[in-house]
Amino acid sequence: MTTVLKTENLRRQFGDLVAVNDVSLELEEDEITSIIGPNGAGKTTFYNLLTGVLEPTSGEIWLQKDGELADITDAPPHEVAQSGLSRSYQISNVFERLTVRENVQVARIAHEGRTLDIRSRAANDEQLNADVDELLELTNLADMAEVTCDELSHGEKRNVEIALALAIEPTVFLLDEPTAGMNPTETKEIVSLIHELNEDIDATFVVTEHDMDVVTDISDRIVVLADGAVLADGDPQAVLSDERVTEAYLGSEAV
Amino acid sequence: MSTQDNSIGARIGTFGREAVQNGWTRERFTLLGLVGLVLIGLGPSFQVYLFTEFMIIALFALAFNLLYGYTGLLSFGHALFFAGGSYGLAIVIRDLQPTIADALGSGVAPLVTFVIGGLVGVLLVVLIAIPVGWLSVRLEEIYFALITLAFGMLGYSLIVQNPAGLTNGTDGVLVLLGFVELGGLEFRLGDRRVYYYLTLTIVLASTYALWRIVNSPFGTICKSIRESPDRAAALGVDVRYHRWMTFILSAVFVGVAGVLIAGLASVASPYHSHWTQSAIAVVATVIGGATFFAGPIVGAFIYLYVRWGISRYPALEAHWEFFFGVMLILVVLYFKQGAVGGLVMLHAWLLEVQTVYERDGAGAAASFVGDSITTKLRNARDVIVARLRSVWNRLRSIGQRGAT
Repeated sequence: MTTVLKTENLRRQFGDLVAVNDVSLELEEDEITSIIGPNGAGKTTFYNLLTGVLEPTSGEIWLQKDGELADITDAPPHEVAQSGLSRSYQISNVFERLTVRENVQVARIAHEGRTLDIRSRAANDEQLNADVDELLELTNLADMAEVTCDELSHGEKRNVEIALALAIEPTVFLLDEPTAGMNPTETKEIVSLIHELNEDIDATFVVTEHDMDVVTDISDRIVVLADGAVLADGDPQAVLSDERVTEAYLGSEAV
Repeated sequence: MSTQDNSIGARIGTFGREAVQNGWTRERFTLLGLVGLVLIGLGPSFQVYLFTEFMIIALFALAFNLLYGYTGLLSFGHALFFAGGSYGLAIVIRDLQPTIADALGSGVAPLVTFVIGGLVGVLLVVLIAIPVGWLSVRLEEIYFALITLAFGMLGYSLIVQNPAGLTNGTDGVLVLLGFVELGGLEFRLGDRRVYYYLTLTIVLASTYALWRIVNSPFGTICKSIRESPDRAAALGVDVRYHRWMTFILSAVFVGVAGVLIAGLASVASPYHSHWTQSAIAVVATVIGGATFFAGPIVGAFIYLYVRWGISRYPALEAHWEFFFGVMLILVVLYFKQGAVGGLVMLHAWLLEVQTVYERDGAGAAASFVGDSITTKLRNARDVIVARLRSVWNRLRSIGQRGAT
C-alpha cells in the first residue's frame, strides 16, 4: 500500500476554539475513506486545511506527487489543486452563468496549464472539447452540455461538481457531502458513480457524508471526528459498532 | 502558421461568396457594416468627428469591460491608462518630432512620430499597469473599486503638478499632427476624414483582438473567476495572477483608446485622467449591458449621441447630468442587462408574436401584442408604485420617530 495523503499533528485554532485537534492520518491509494462526525466536529475545517483555503496553526500536510510525498502545508488552493488534490463542495459551487461545457472547459484549461492562452478559441478547440465530451459522458451530462448551470436541477449541479473535480485528474478526491439534498434515486446514482470512478481511475476518495447507508455502502475505511480529534479509525463494521462512536453521535443518554 | 497564410486567399474567396450569393448571411451583414463604416467617413465633418469619438469611447469601454463584465472587477481608475496613452503620444510628438524629421525628412515624420508616439503611449500604460494592477488585485469588490479610484486620482494630481515640466499642468500637452507626404500621397494626418479612417482601422483591429481574447481559454478562465473565484482556485487557477494579467491587457487597450483620443482632441489633457473619465466607461458599459460583448459599444453610442442630442438644446444642456441620471436609473431598474439585453428581449418577444401570427392569424397576434404590452406597462407601474410607497413609508416612519 502506498500513502497518497498524510497529515501530521494537524491543528487549527480559531481563538480559543480548537476546530481541528492534532489530526494525524495516512490515506492509502485507491481507498474510499469516509470522514464522519456530528455537526461541528471539524470536518469542513479539515477539508479547508487540506485544500489550502485555511492555514493550519501547526502540523503538516503531505501529498503524493510524481511518486513521492511533497509538503503542501503552505501551498495556496490553486497549487494544491495542481498537485492533484481535487474537491467538490457541500453547497454546489459551479460557475452558474456558464454552460456545463464551459464549466468543464475551465477545469481542463487549468489542468493543461493553458490559462494564459489567448490565441486559440475555446469553442473550436478539438482536443479540449473531446476531453470535455468524455467527462460529460461519464457524469451523465452529455445532453446538457449547452445549458447554463443556473437552469440545472440540484442533482444535475452535483454531477457538474463531480465532473469539475474529475476534470483535473486528481490523485485524491475530496467529496464534501456528495449526496446532500438529493432524492433517493439521485443518491443511488451518485453512489454507483463513485464506485465506478473508484474502479476506473486510480484515485483515492475522501468523503464526508451524513447518510449512514451511503457511508456503509461505499467506505473501505471510516474515520470518526469528534470535537476536532480522531475518535475512531478503521474498518467500517468495527468503527460503527464502537460504543464511543454511538455516544458521540447520539449523546450520552443513548448509551 | 504556414497553412493559415496559404488559406487566407481561400477564406476571402469564401467570405465573398457567402456575402454576395447566399442571401442574408452573417458575411453579408459584416460586408454591409464595413461599407457603411467607410461611407460614414464621407459624411458631414462634424458627424465624422462625433463618430470617431464614439469609436474611441467604445474601445475604452470594451477594454474596461474585459475587467468588469468578464472578470468581475469594477475599476474606477481606468482614466489613468486613458491619459497614459494620451500623454505618451503628446510628449513624443512635442519632444521628438523635430529629431525624427531631421532623420527621416519632414514628409513621413508626422506619420512615423504618430506610430512611435502610440507605441510609447501603450508601453507607458503597460509600465504603469504592472505595479498598479499588482497592488490592486490584492483587493476585491468595493475595495478594488476604491483602490483603483485612488490610483487614478493619484495619476491626475501628478499630471496637474507638471513633474519635470513633462505634462504642462492643467493646460495639457498640445498634439499637432502634421502634414504627410508619402509617395505621391499628400494628406494632413489630423484631417477629420483621414483621422476617422485611421481610428476605424485601429478600433476594428482592437475590437477583433478583444473578441478573440474573451473567446479564448484565457477568456473562459476570466468568466469563471467572475462567477466563483474560490471554485476557480480549487481547480488550479491562480486567481490573483490571472486578474493581474487581465488588468494589464485591459489597460493596454484603454491605452490605445487614449492615444487615439489625444490625436482627435489635439491635446493630451488632465481632463482625460480625471475620475469622471473612468465613470464614462462605467456608465457606457452599464447602459449597454456588461454581460454582452457588444454592450459597451452600444452603450458608448447611446452615451455620445444622447449627449450630443441634449447639447443642441441649451435649456437641456444646462442640466445634462440630470438626464443621464434618469436614463441610468431606468436602465438599472428595468433593463438589468442594459440596452443589448433589452434588444435581446425584444427579439425574443417579436419571435413570440410571429409564432402566434403563424398559428392563429393576424387578429390573435394583434391581441397578443396588446395583452403583453398592457401586462408590461402594468408591471412597470407596479414597480414604480411599490418604490414610491416604500420611500413614502420610510419617510413617514422617520417623521413619526422625529415626533416621539
